[in-house]
Amino acid sequence: MDSGVAFKRRLYMPRTSMTTEGNRTGSWRFLRPRYEEKTSPCSAACPVGEDIPRVEMLVTQGAFKEAWETILLENPLPGVCGRVCFHPCEGKCNRKDFDTPVAIHTLERFLSDTAFRNETKPVLPRRPPTGKRVAVVGSGPAGLSAAWFLTILGYECDVLEAMEEAGGLLRWGIPEYRLPRSELQREIGRIVDEGVRIHTGERVKKERFEELRTRYDALLLGCGLWKNRPLGISGEDVPGVEDGLTFLRRVRGGERPAVGGVNAIIGGGNTAVDVARSVVRLGGEAVIVYRRRREDMPAFFEEIEGALEEGVEIKELLAPSSIAARNGGLVLTLRRMMIEGKDKDGRGRIVPAGTETLSLEVARVFVATGADTAETWHLPPAGNDKTIRLSRCLLSFEEGVPVAYVGDLAGGDLNVTAAIASGKEAVMALDSYFKGGCGTILEDLSSCRVGDGTSLSMEIYLGGARKARSRHVVTYEEINTDYFSFEPRITQPRLLPDERRLSFDEIEMKLSAGTAMREAGRCFNCGICNGCDNCWLYCPDVAVIRQRRSGERLIDYNYCKGCGLCVVECPRNAMALEEEGGS
Amino acid sequence: MKRVVEGSQAVAEAVRLAKVQVISAYPITPQTHIVEILADYVSQGRMKARFLRVESEHSCMAALIGAQSMGVRTFTATSSQGLALMHELLHWASGARLPIVMAEVNRALAPGWNIWSDQSDSLSQRDTGWMQFYCEDSQEVLDTTLFAYRLAETVYLPAMVVLDAFFLSHTYEPVDIPSQEDVDRFLPPYEPAFQLDTKHPYALSPLVTPNAYMEMRHEMSAAMEDVLGLYDGLEEEMFRAFGRRYGMVEAIECRDARVVFVTSGTVTSTARIFLKKLRERGEKVGVLKVKLFRPFPTEEVRRALAGVPKVVVVDRNCSFGLGGIFAQEIRAALCNVPGERRVYGYIAGLGGRDITEELLEEIYGEVTEGKGPERENIWKGLQEVSHGGR
Amino acid sequence: MLEIRFHGRGGQGTVVATIILAKAFFQAGWQVQSFPFFGVERRGAPVEAYLRLDKEKILVRTNVVSPDHVVVQDRTLLSSIDVTRGLKRGGWILMNTPSPPEDLGRFRGWRLACCDMTRIALRHGLGTRTHPIVNTTMTGAFAKTLAMPPLEALEAAIEEEISVNPKGNVEAAREAYNEVLLVGEVD
Repeated sequence: MDSGVAFKRRLYMPRTSMTTEGNRTGSWRFLRPRYEEKTSPCSAACPVGEDIPRVEMLVTQGAFKEAWETILLENPLPGVCGRVCFHPCEGKCNRKDFDTPVAIHTLERFLSDTAFRNETKPVLPRRPPTGKRVAVVGSGPAGLSAAWFLTILGYECDVLEAMEEAGGLLRWGIPEYRLPRSELQREIGRIVDEGVRIHTGERVKKERFEELRTRYDALLLGCGLWKNRPLGISGEDVPGVEDGLTFLRRVRGGERPAVGGVNAIIGGGNTAVDVARSVVRLGGEAVIVYRRRREDMPAFFEEIEGALEEGVEIKELLAPSSIAARNGGLVLTLRRMMIEGKDKDGRGRIVPAGTETLSLEVARVFVATGADTAETWHLPPAGNDKTIRLSRCLLSFEEGVPVAYVGDLAGGDLNVTAAIASGKEAVMALDSYFKGGCGTILEDLSSCRVGDGTSLSMEIYLGGARKARSRHVVTYEEINTDYFSFEPRITQPRLLPDERRLSFDEIEMKLSAGTAMREAGRCFNCGICNGCDNCWLYCPDVAVIRQRRSGERLIDYNYCKGCGLCVVECPRNAMALEEEGGS
Repeated sequence: MKRVVEGSQAVAEAVRLAKVQVISAYPITPQTHIVEILADYVSQGRMKARFLRVESEHSCMAALIGAQSMGVRTFTATSSQGLALMHELLHWASGARLPIVMAEVNRALAPGWNIWSDQSDSLSQRDTGWMQFYCEDSQEVLDTTLFAYRLAETVYLPAMVVLDAFFLSHTYEPVDIPSQEDVDRFLPPYEPAFQLDTKHPYALSPLVTPNAYMEMRHEMSAAMEDVLGLYDGLEEEMFRAFGRRYGMVEAIECRDARVVFVTSGTVTSTARIFLKKLRERGEKVGVLKVKLFRPFPTEEVRRALAGVPKVVVVDRNCSFGLGGIFAQEIRAALCNVPGERRVYGYIAGLGGRDITEELLEEIYGEVTEGKGPERENIWKGLQEVSHGGR
Repeated sequence: MLEIRFHGRGGQGTVVATIILAKAFFQAGWQVQSFPFFGVERRGAPVEAYLRLDKEKILVRTNVVSPDHVVVQDRTLLSSIDVTRGLKRGGWILMNTPSPPEDLGRFRGWRLACCDMTRIALRHGLGTRTHPIVNTTMTGAFAKTLAMPPLEALEAAIEEEISVNPKGNVEAAREAYNEVLLVGEVD
């Protein structure tokens, strides 16, 4: 049919084929956003500087192997630290100001458990061999850490261990219920797999040490403190008084000493608590006698809580004045103390509360008030122009090859994680020394600091991606909490107190992958980009570009007008905004 | 071929015959059957079309604007609250000159929640730049849907085919469904005036300053006026294709009438029975069916009502604060026309209440008795209510 | 013009029955209009549907107020619904029941037709044992009662409208056509 109505009016319809790309909104910019990863408070608080926000990001993604490897680059013993570390990270977790801290400690252990269950072999960056050889005396946490990092940096490494099995304090000082022997052996096995040679039953005396100086390019001395510090009171040597470390070593060696009746444990550190809890497991009653208050005890909070749950009694503000044998048992005479003012370290200063004493009838007394070096030559030399004191170790260049004093020998914090950090610091310092002499050590180490503290990062030392991060430590106020919702923290599953008293079985139980991923998802990932793409989503000028393959995000400054929305909407402060033309 | 079909199916058959390419809708009673049938047709392959499911009527119209901009024929159906939710995008569709066709099943607006027939929903969209056709029976619904595509695609304005809830949408009656060949002759494939092309990208409707906006609006207004000039010619084509035509208005025995009832939608049918009865009694009464509401056929209305002294407008709607909407439009059309006449606006049948022959007779009685009612706007058929409560 | 009202329950196919009848009547040369009660439909609730028949084009667009005949598809409705509401004198009441109700008095002035539609529907496997669908059966009884539409037109309409087991439906309608009991005027 012919169209009876052939009508078409032209339309007036404004249109433009000019793309919006013609409008270079970047020319308006006076503020410039950029991606700037920063330092999370947890990683700065971690003595070994673990990259915790990245670890949790990877766990959330289910990338357990990569997460584990990320830890291994800073800490060779996640299976140990996931059990015995006092986790200062959680105390600094920004999430604590929101609801509760992320269970970083538990997740570290989860990664180690998972890696071992899957028999995962880590792939880590390694420097080519340097041809240099280093001997490490002592296979405790400091020695193992040093051996691991020496190997990564291309050094041949021999570890000399006096005992018949490696591990030092980890093997002989920490009870089985906190750190099962099998777990420790797997950790050590992995270090050996990397090429470290461990020679057990090799007690290094002074003469041997001098001989080692001639055969190696450097020595590390990390044989720990094994000599009990005496109380200096009368009756200390009567039968029935034993030092705590020896007792723990016997128990770890497989002995099951009789501890019937009441056992007094003098001291407030982890050793005292370990002894008390071991006594309970052996069927005895344990009373911890401490001269300060409970809150002053240097032992970890969780350990004290655990001890109380298991029936350990803690008597505070009592200082021992004498021990005497009576009727087949012991009488412990104690002096009442009181708090008056404060000590230099902030703890309450204790003074005798009058002259009153009281007596405690006990079957046994364990002394756990601290330990000293087993031999005097273990002590690092006094500071002079041939020594360099670092945060956690001491280097001596007095007699030929450099000697590093690590772990408890170096003083400072006496705990496993500090010892691992000490070994790592010493290795970095030695490597720096071999490359540039004494003069470069401080600068090299300073450039590897994580945040504002003393923690050092091996990844940064090796020039990895983490090197690009700003040292600024992200505060809670810098987190955009609009993007987070309240989520309860996981509860670590544990044996019941009644079950614990019956054996040395490990108290803390395993976590499922789903639970771990959910917990890791609570992490703010402070200061690092986890690819949430808020920047991309909110950019009004489509100036954020996502590289599909590399996952990188870039800003197209032709169009970025510097509105700063990306920076404001970044939930985790992984971006920065600065004035155009500034530094 | 004549078949007994539901009014909703009459719409769906027209959409199928129009070879619509993109359909989108959100379900709402009493429109649902239309898109249910179309969804069946699409899934059975009886229509080569995409059916877009959306989360709201607002999204539905947005989807159709996008689709129509790509140069395809589109359709939707809605009612009441659904149409109200579409409001913003109705402006966008007409302003962008997209000849989208919609079936609008007249339904009351809430509260109270009411699913029954009432014109307030479509009349609320009077000024959105959409053409509006009010249909009397299912045959007219089918024909008008096809006609709407032809007209809309000629002037590049969207169109709303309006049908009464239930009285049409849910009622089965015989409808002649034209053959595809006849429809193809009447309705050629859609030729867009412009269309988006991903190979040669451009942006439509960018920021338009005062320099250009007024001209755009003037052209829309001119296109609406063009409709009035094109209407009869296109209906002539439809008549040649299907043998049916309806007119912008239909003046039934108005020539010598003393009283003319102005009606729209299905009320016209009831009025036809009433008219026949009264004419048999010798009463000089007429009926003016207004089908085309936008653009408003002012000349046709004036011609039909020339010399009629009393005009009754039956409105199944209300513009609160003024009265029935058709009544206002008729009054406005008759303004400036010389001669004496009275226009009475009667509001009846809101929310699906019946407008019966008896009611029309009652109105007739009122306006013919003496000088007629005092008021110009009268609500008819109200019952006593108990206000109860506090 | 004839107006017929159908009573049933949601889910019994009452509306479909009116469509079948509308199509059958249209085939037989009638103008038709059928529609459900305008409202919200729910399974089990009493429903109504309507059929208008005329030889002329049907213009009226209102609800059916005073039907010429009524059909009751479910006898249990008698206790809750006034099925004779507005029913014109002399109109038929076609009821689904095994036997005429006892109180015939309430139907005085109307004509009664009874058919055990449920039994017939069950026999032909229409619907389920608990919910037999009697609508097509009813149309057969209807065709006999009003003497229209012709059985052939009805059968054709059933086959067009019912896609599942059309044969069974047609046979049920035919059986009801033969079995319906025309009681006739009640006085």
